[in-house]
Amino acid sequence: MSLLEIKNLHARINDTDILHGIDLTIGRGEVHAIMGPNGSGKSTLSYVLSGRDGYEVTGGDILLDGKSVLEMEADERGRAGMFLAFQYPVELPGVGGMAFLRAAVNARLREAGKDEVDQLEFVKMVRAEAKGLGIKDDMLKRPVNVGFSGGEKKRYEILQMALLKPSLAILDETDSGLDVDALKIVSEGVNLLRSAERGMLVITHYQRLLNHIVPDQVHILAGGRIVKSGDKTLALEVEENGYAGLGDAA
Amino acid sequence: MQPERLYETWADRKEAAQSYLEAVNWPNGQTEAWKFTSLSHLSDVVLNPPKRSASLARDARLDGEVLNFTAGLAPDLAAASLPKCIIATDISADKAICHKAFALLPDNHHLTALSASRQTAAVKIEVAGPAKINTPLILQFTDGKTDEAAHPFVFIDIADGAHLHLAELHEGASSLSQPLIFVRLGQGATLDHIKLQDESDHTTHLGLTLFRLAGQANVNSFSVSKGSQITRMETHCFFAAPDAQAAMSAVYLGCDSQHHDITTVVSHEYANCSSRQLIRGVLDDKARGVFQGRVRVAPDAQKTDGQQMSRALLLSRDAEADAKPELEIFADDVVCSHGATVGELDETLLFYLKSRGIDEAEARTMLIDAFLVDTLEEISYQPFADFLRGQVSGWTARKTGVE
Repeated sequence: MSLLEIKNLHARINDTDILHGIDLTIGRGEVHAIMGPNGSGKSTLSYVLSGRDGYEVTGGDILLDGKSVLEMEADERGRAGMFLAFQYPVELPGVGGMAFLRAAVNARLREAGKDEVDQLEFVKMVRAEAKGLGIKDDMLKRPVNVGFSGGEKKRYEILQMALLKPSLAILDETDSGLDVDALKIVSEGVNLLRSAERGMLVITHYQRLLNHIVPDQVHILAGGRIVKSGDKTLALEVEENGYAGLGDAA
Repeated sequence: MQPERLYETWADRKEAAQSYLEAVNWPNGQTEAWKFTSLSHLSDVVLNPPKRSASLARDARLDGEVLNFTAGLAPDLAAASLPKCIIATDISADKAICHKAFALLPDNHHLTALSASRQTAAVKIEVAGPAKINTPLILQFTDGKTDEAAHPFVFIDIADGAHLHLAELHEGASSLSQPLIFVRLGQGATLDHIKLQDESDHTTHLGLTLFRLAGQANVNSFSVSKGSQITRMETHCFFAAPDAQAAMSAVYLGCDSQHHDITTVVSHEYANCSSRQLIRGVLDDKARGVFQGRVRVAPDAQKTDGQQMSRALLLSRDAEADAKPELEIFADDVVCSHGATVGELDETLLFYLKSRGIDEAEARTMLIDAFLVDTLEEISYQPFADFLRGQVSGWTARKTGVE
């Protein structure tokens, strides 16, 4: 059984149809990239997959481990193993970073019928993961994302992914706003999380991220449809020729 | 402003108060000070003086010496085990003291007039200095019946350099609860004060707490309003000398058809004093919240620092929040600011938390607590902070259903 199966997915927001029939299958251990120009529906796809309110599925289905998630709330999808790394991670003033991370991890543990994690043990666990991502203690003590630089916010997203161990990670334009050095750190973090058990969907506008996170397959999204699929060389082709012309291939 | 009238005796004052009340009756939207909070419903409520009933046991939630005003009546002061430097006296028979105290309170004010006219208890508490008292003094207001009105008056006099931890817990059940607490702080005196309004759902609460600060005095006050049907929680701060400071913040938590009115009046009369107010409200269902904050800076009150910020969070489309900041600044070398915002829970923040697997109720709780957390950090005395934080988070948890 595939990890993720998107079947003829149609979706709209505020009465505007955005996705016009997307088919995509991701197996465990696979990394798929979705590339597309602005307005092609990339972010909409990530929100529809993760169950954000206001995004209405008008046709088709999304199956995670063979089970439709359409009736599931965003939090249920999260506990079922989906994870969305935000393009613009939000600041949560007043929400302590550690309390937030622990609430998320415990929600998942409870769902799995396991004991909640002990506070001291949890701090150790977070520190160990944070170190590899160059996240300092001071950052962990702050409210979620408050006062973080763009790069720090993205690293914090990857830290959450490392702690939550999702079966499907969706990375929405993780490269946006990152300089070369930050891009390298974040990509290394992501690559460490590649495993035979996990699938990833990497959404990006630019090819450069895919030099660091090398995908098994690349799909071009245009006008709410996947207009072309191929291996990693397709990304290079886009880099060379741009998106022009690809939309017409559909 | 009308010139202050001088009364020869308490009887004069009481008579004047009675005629004031007869003329005004219960204020409604027509009176500027009561623009958002009408009391006209009280015309139809039977308001008898309270009858004595058995008083509740000592409050164990908060460590301290408890004076329990049952149904608005004075406690048995002889039985109270207060620290040596706190002396409590029943002054209901000694009107000269009431008279002197009221001379320092605002005139032509509905709540002081009500108190002068209908007092059900009058207690004076003297705090001697400069010994530091560690045990908080807890004024607890409990019981009362639906046909009763409670009008207790407490006058607290803190000597020069003395310190007091004072908690007002309003948890009664009278139809009308109108406690008036007047705290006079001497030179360099300090006060840690909290006030909790958690009265029964048929109560109209009209609490007035007034601080009068001598030079270098310091007040750290925090109020939480979460009970009763209609609440006006009014706090005054009068700087009667230079170099004093007051922080008087508040949180109101409204649900169903509750009405919470937080009104503050700060009078900077002398130079180099600072006042700081953070007000936060959370409103659900059809609840209504009001913040009226008046800051007056007299011509001589140079170097005044007056800060005021109110924010309301609406959890329902039917909830409503009003804010009326009033700054009257007559000095030119001052730093004064005010601001007011009203908002809803941010859907993007909620989605962020939910996408991490945190369920809706817990996510909402986290965001509501986050909205209130920095305000609660204003409370300087830790046991008071813990107590009120418990009151607030208990409310949030019940509201979001995580409890």
